[in-house]
Amino acid sequence: MNALQQDIAQLIIDTLNLEDVTVDDIPPDLPLFGEGLGLDSVDALELALALQKHYDIRIASDSKDARQHFTTVATLAAFVQAQKDACAS
Amino acid sequence: MMEFHIHHLHAWAPGLDTNEAWQAWAHHPTRRPDNNEQPSCDFLPTMQRRRLSRLARMTMHAAWPLCGEEEQLPFVFASRHGETPRTFALLGDVADEQPLSPTQFGLSVHNAIAGQWSILRGQHGESVAIAGEADTFEHAMVEAATLLSDGAKHVLVVMAEERPPAAYDDWIDDVPFSYAVALKVGGIESAEKVSSGERWLLRLELNAGTSTSGAWPHVLDFVRAMHTSESTLEHTWKTRRWIWQRSP
Repeated sequence: MNALQQDIAQLIIDTLNLEDVTVDDIPPDLPLFGEGLGLDSVDALELALALQKHYDIRIASDSKDARQHFTTVATLAAFVQAQKDACAS
Repeated sequence: MMEFHIHHLHAWAPGLDTNEAWQAWAHHPTRRPDNNEQPSCDFLPTMQRRRLSRLARMTMHAAWPLCGEEEQLPFVFASRHGETPRTFALLGDVADEQPLSPTQFGLSVHNAIAGQWSILRGQHGESVAIAGEADTFEHAMVEAATLLSDGAKHVLVVMAEERPPAAYDDWIDDVPFSYAVALKVGGIESAEKVSSGERWLLRLELNAGTSTSGAWPHVLDFVRAMHTSESTLEHTWKTRRWIWQRSP
């Protein structure tokens, strides 16, 4: 797990108030929604808000790709990195 | 005149989590220090606990043991002030022009906790959420009486309040400390021999004199009476005089 992935896993735990869950319980390839961690659509909204605040990025709510970006910690980290790179350039 | 058989009472407040602790409090009632303690609710898995606020946890903790595994109970949730910390935090975000948390916004209704109870316990019967004045507890019992007279065998009543943020101090002076009190109540069937619990009668009279607020919120005064041998309570508020009487 790289630093950004760890950071995002911790953000998920803090934002969604997942008591007793540690970063190690959310490996990068664990599906976040449905089977897997078990998050739902309200969590997705909450998480999108937290990611935008925390990383100062924008997530278009109508993006067709959003579902893919939110699949796992690994896909979220790749998405956040791409957004940060895009803003920096 | 309303008649209640109080089958079970289960209450929680900071530092008051056992029958013995409440018994001791009832004999020497004092203002409890409230440092935002909350029940763990560890009978629920993490994923089901994640959206429970402090007031919701207090309610779940108090009510949980009063409802059997397979039991369906009409539910009355009563709170005069509701979740003031949540409201205050949301208003702060609005003032700061920050986006609102979808979770917090979605749960910022008075019946949210009743809804969470229904989901977590698979309850699909009647559910009521009320807010009244200083006599909210008695109004909750009126709701329970109507459900009982409508055919319910038992009703689960929860009266819960949370210490509000300091910004509310000028307006809210009747929550000495956070508490949740759950009561499983039934009617009084004369034929039925009752071995446990207590019977209480409640009647409402016109209060012509001035309204003096008691030392403790009505429901805590009732808890106190349940734990002592007190047989009569009078709770007055504005034009209403509620008279509680223990029945043999």
